[in-house]
Amino acid sequence: MTMEVRGWIDGDESGREMLSRLLTERPYLHIPPFQKFPLRVGNVVELVGPSPCAKTHILMQAAIDCILPKHYGGLGHLVLFIDLDCRFDILRLSQMLRNRIFQANKNQSNDEELFVECMRRFLYIRCYDTLEFLATLKTLHYQLQKERQAQGIGVNFLMIDSIGAFHWVDRASTSLHLGVDNRKGLSLQNVSVTVVQEIKKLVLVHPMLVIAAKATILGNRYAANEVKWNLKRPFSPDSAASSVTNKVHQLMYREYMPSIWQSFVTLRILIQASDDHISTENNHNKSVYLSEWLMPPLSFGDSFIVKDAGVFCVS
Amino acid sequence: MAPLKSLEAQYGILDSNFQSFCASNGIFTVEDFLLHDLSVLAAFAEQEPTSERLKEGITQVLSIIDRQHQPWLNGLQLLEDAQQNKHVLSTGFKGIDKLLEGGLREGQLTELVGPSSSGKTQLCLRVAANVAIQHKGRVIFLDTGNSFSPRRIEHFVRQISGSVFNEKVMSNILCHSTFDIFSMFDVLHQLENSLKSQGHKGDCKARTLIVDSISSLITPILGGSGPQGHALMTSAGFLLKKLAHELNIAVLVTNHMVAGEGGNLKPALGESWKSIPHVRLLLSRDQGNKTCSISILKHPSLASGEVARFVIDD
Repeated sequence: MTMEVRGWIDGDESGREMLSRLLTERPYLHIPPFQKFPLRVGNVVELVGPSPCAKTHILMQAAIDCILPKHYGGLGHLVLFIDLDCRFDILRLSQMLRNRIFQANKNQSNDEELFVECMRRFLYIRCYDTLEFLATLKTLHYQLQKERQAQGIGVNFLMIDSIGAFHWVDRASTSLHLGVDNRKGLSLQNVSVTVVQEIKKLVLVHPMLVIAAKATILGNRYAANEVKWNLKRPFSPDSAASSVTNKVHQLMYREYMPSIWQSFVTLRILIQASDDHISTENNHNKSVYLSEWLMPPLSFGDSFIVKDAGVFCVS
Repeated sequence: MAPLKSLEAQYGILDSNFQSFCASNGIFTVEDFLLHDLSVLAAFAEQEPTSERLKEGITQVLSIIDRQHQPWLNGLQLLEDAQQNKHVLSTGFKGIDKLLEGGLREGQLTELVGPSSSGKTQLCLRVAANVAIQHKGRVIFLDTGNSFSPRRIEHFVRQISGSVFNEKVMSNILCHSTFDIFSMFDVLHQLENSLKSQGHKGDCKARTLIVDSISSLITPILGGSGPQGHALMTSAGFLLKKLAHELNIAVLVTNHMVAGEGGNLKPALGESWKSIPHVRLLLSRDQGNKTCSISILKHPSLASGEVARFVIDD
């Protein structure tokens, strides 16, 4: 007992260890929309936006920043990607990763080795319904222990794409009375409570940054960035350019997640496609996306485009 | 999910004592376990006389739960699956294939949005004929509005294979008439079971599933204040994506357009559907001629806004 107490009081961390712990706790992401904000492990970030608005692309790029080794500007840690939309495209991730490695590594030959090493650090699971999602979260702790033993490194990011995927199904399966008073039904509320509880427990044991994408599945009648379904001039992308972008900033989105999830989220970023387009080197018109911090309500946002190599800021 | 009672035969540790302990905590099935905080449950077990055995039981249930999600894969395993099992299927239109970098991808759900008579059904029939010939695959066509035309298919088959009538190709295109969402679920579940049991043997693999149009099955159940319609829509979307991925088939669905605000057309399935398909394509037809335009609204790896033109001939 005394030994344990003594061990606890004694300093057990060198300066170098402390620095590396702090750097792990503050994973700095160089990509929009995170680049101007100090994130830290334990934060729960929510990316909100109407589909398609590059949410999954941002997640992929953040994942690449995490799985790349430190001397390539990455964090050298594992990423957990829970795919609830079941739309993840691994070919796209590998293309972006190869691009990054190629740029960093122009005249060296160990590209393939590095690629394989990074891809092994990307851990992926797909869930087709709420029960599979809950079963995944319940057993994640064991999975993480296994991976940590196998690869010798910990997890830094937990990504969920996207958290509202089963919203309608959960909402429809409400309180059928199950005969026994203390038996919990599979309602939206109970599911959210369990999801939040399991992630909280997990983050205590395995400190990581949680990033969840959330599609705005409820239509907004007055949405300024609704795709224009005007078929009189359907294929002129720059016809209405920039006339509505001012309105975009005032766009509200309708919250639909239960309050238990809302209060679990610590940072929230709204992303939208604007009507602006930018010509890139190959003369391709790229849509410009805008991001805005809703929580904390910061005054600066980012504009970015998606290129073959990933997400890039435009000024 | 399984009641705990039914698991007793397989796992002796889940005996009647364990079952009554769980029942006192409101747990009767494995599903109920998912909604419970297991550390709290373990703390309750601690107070019981047979605590060790109860905790062993909890661990046993946890290992049962561990088999009820899909397997964890790392990026390399995922990439290998994509490269070996998810092929690209040519649509038969050079312009579209070029736009989509080869055509429809197995494992993905592709949606065609377009107003009436923009060529959605013709494109579907042509894809069916092309997949049956060029890729020697079976095509399952769910027809919701009696728009499937064997004559048209025959025409396309003759056109593609140089005016030879090919009975084998025709017999590989299977049409099911489905007039409501529940019969679609029936067909899809049957398909899942038959394809799973059949595996990959046999010379002819199912490659494409077409639903023309999915919106006419779903719009009747939307509306009203309840979430049931949207829940069915979401479930249908997940089932289609599951079939696409697990059976390595390309799924193509069509979504018609209705009048929206200000007389502009908008897709019949709107905001909540938007996040379901992998690829969304917008189809339109020029006034007075047979030229159609197709543009990318959403794609996992290609920029939206790119356009291709093609002609559907008589």
